[in-house]
Amino acid sequence: MKSDRILSLYTWAFLAFMFAPLLLMIVASFNNISPPSVTDWHGFTTKWYSFFWMDQSQIAADPVLRTLDRGRFIGCFGNSLVVAAAVVPLSLLLGLAGAIMLTRWSSKANGILWWVLLSPILAPGVVLGLSALVFWARLGVGAGLFTIVMAQVTFIAGYPMLVLMARLQRQPIELEEAARDLGASPLRSFLRITLPFLAPALFSAAVVAFLASMENYNTTMFAKGGSCTFATEIGAMARNPNGHPPVINAVGTAIILITVAAALAHALMKRREEKRK
Amino acid sequence: MHGKDIRLEAVGITYPNGFRAVEPTDLEIRAGEFFSILGPSGCGKTTILRTISGFVEPSEGRVLIGGEDMAGRAPDQRPTALIFQNLALFPLMSVRDNVAFGLEARGVSKRERRARAQELLELVALGDQAEKKPTELSGGQRQRVAIARALAVEPAVLLLDEPLSALDLKLRQHMRAELRAIQKKTGVTFLYITHDQSEALAMSDRIAVMNKGKIEQVGSCDEVYSDPLTAFAASFVGEVNMIPGTIKSVIPDMALVESALGTFTARNPRGLKVGDATYLFVRPEAMRLDPLPNDNRLAVSFDRRDLEGAFVTLHMKASDGTPMAAQLPNDGQRRDPASLTELGFSPEAAIALPEGPLARTGREEMAAQ
Repeated sequence: MKSDRILSLYTWAFLAFMFAPLLLMIVASFNNISPPSVTDWHGFTTKWYSFFWMDQSQIAADPVLRTLDRGRFIGCFGNSLVVAAAVVPLSLLLGLAGAIMLTRWSSKANGILWWVLLSPILAPGVVLGLSALVFWARLGVGAGLFTIVMAQVTFIAGYPMLVLMARLQRQPIELEEAARDLGASPLRSFLRITLPFLAPALFSAAVVAFLASMENYNTTMFAKGGSCTFATEIGAMARNPNGHPPVINAVGTAIILITVAAALAHALMKRREEKRK
Repeated sequence: MHGKDIRLEAVGITYPNGFRAVEPTDLEIRAGEFFSILGPSGCGKTTILRTISGFVEPSEGRVLIGGEDMAGRAPDQRPTALIFQNLALFPLMSVRDNVAFGLEARGVSKRERRARAQELLELVALGDQAEKKPTELSGGQRQRVAIARALAVEPAVLLLDEPLSALDLKLRQHMRAELRAIQKKTGVTFLYITHDQSEALAMSDRIAVMNKGKIEQVGSCDEVYSDPLTAFAASFVGEVNMIPGTIKSVIPDMALVESALGTFTARNPRGLKVGDATYLFVRPEAMRLDPLPNDNRLAVSFDRRDLEGAFVTLHMKASDGTPMAAQLPNDGQRRDPASLTELGFSPEAAIALPEGPLARTGREEMAAQ
């Protein structure tokens, strides 16, 4: 009995520590005060959500917002989209190749290969960013969006690989063999049998890779040089000497919303697929 | 469609992990025949099938189909089609697209392959199911889709890897007849792999019995059943009573076998010599409750009676406890089996073979699994 209560207490504490900061941030994002506060309620507002299209005069009137460079922020956000647009296809391609090799190629080296391919996920992000920076500098490529892409892909490719491996292990190998036996070349067998089967997993893997790229901070920070991304710019804004801009809370809330929506969509898709069986 | 012959010349297969799956084997399967390889699981029969279809390269020897050496030819370049144990129907494609897949891979136009797929679906009586997904069909229907899909590429050789094992008994028996009819109609060489001896006996022109990577006997169904050449073949194909003993004397074609249960006269097809250790085999249906004057005689005590419809199987014990079975036609008379004390069998129905490994009994099979 007693151990039960300790366990439930622990569970609730765990949930509180995990979600309380998020809840506070969401509440603060609707509080009409700048710099933001949770304890000091100044009325409900959605104006922090309209920062991107707010009137210039309104920004100038706010003691914190007026120190922010909205144009730069939007530019950094655009950079993030550019980076993600390169990172997503690259990591899908690499992850797919790795997943196929590890599930369809029975080699004694598979165990070691699995660790080698996934080790960047475990490696400190700082190290990945720094090594990309040093490596490309040696080749005469300056730090910028390109080095960010390269540094991010090293570890983000691991996520699609895991997602696709799980899916490939569920497809009986006989399907590909049957295609080959009926006269299909390896390429046709891949395009007609394996790829359609992988389609839903490819979509989930793309979403995971996109979110991972958008939100990555530490690796990007070291590889970015003079450029900026959405995440690094938010980091910079949070260190604003005039106080933490309430816009960050609004942006954070939006990110949570998108992540939850993506997770829900994924769960729904899975359920629909299972129902079809 | 025309069947081609298959020839294995000293084909041996060792897996990368060192497991010797198939000992050097010679085998000839004639063009247009229904040939079965019969053996217990793990005997190497599936490996032979995968070698012929091109998924496994033989470690030594050659595979020839229609006289052509298949070395270095990938599965998509061989005149074979394989029906997998789990059928491997493409789940995302309609039944029609499944059947047309091989033609699509060969670059046949869409109209032509639709027409061809429809023809084949009619052949297997599924003409009205073309739009469905494989998962919407019953087990027997899926089976027939797999057959149609394999026949669509007009193979010279159809390889079947225990495709009936997932079906229930009634359907299985029906599909046997259907497979046989399709084979006759198309003239394609069928190579059928199974561990079910009744399946092999019912469908095949000829059978190979295989054990531990070796082919023990090749012959017609009747030959393999009535004139087994090894202890394994005798014990694996059909039910059999076995009595261990030694050869006491030899007369042309026959031998006198001395055993703990008495002395018996039996056929001696392998030419065993005096003093050789032997296993004596008698089929249950050759046992007689009322021995004839020239019969071998065997003292038994009654154990139990199993009614199997058209047949009755009487289970008995010999004097040293060895189980003995006698199968009789069910003539409706219910004589009291408890009064049974003696069985008889003719010398021609008994066969003395060299001592050797036996097939596992049902009880041993259960214990192993």
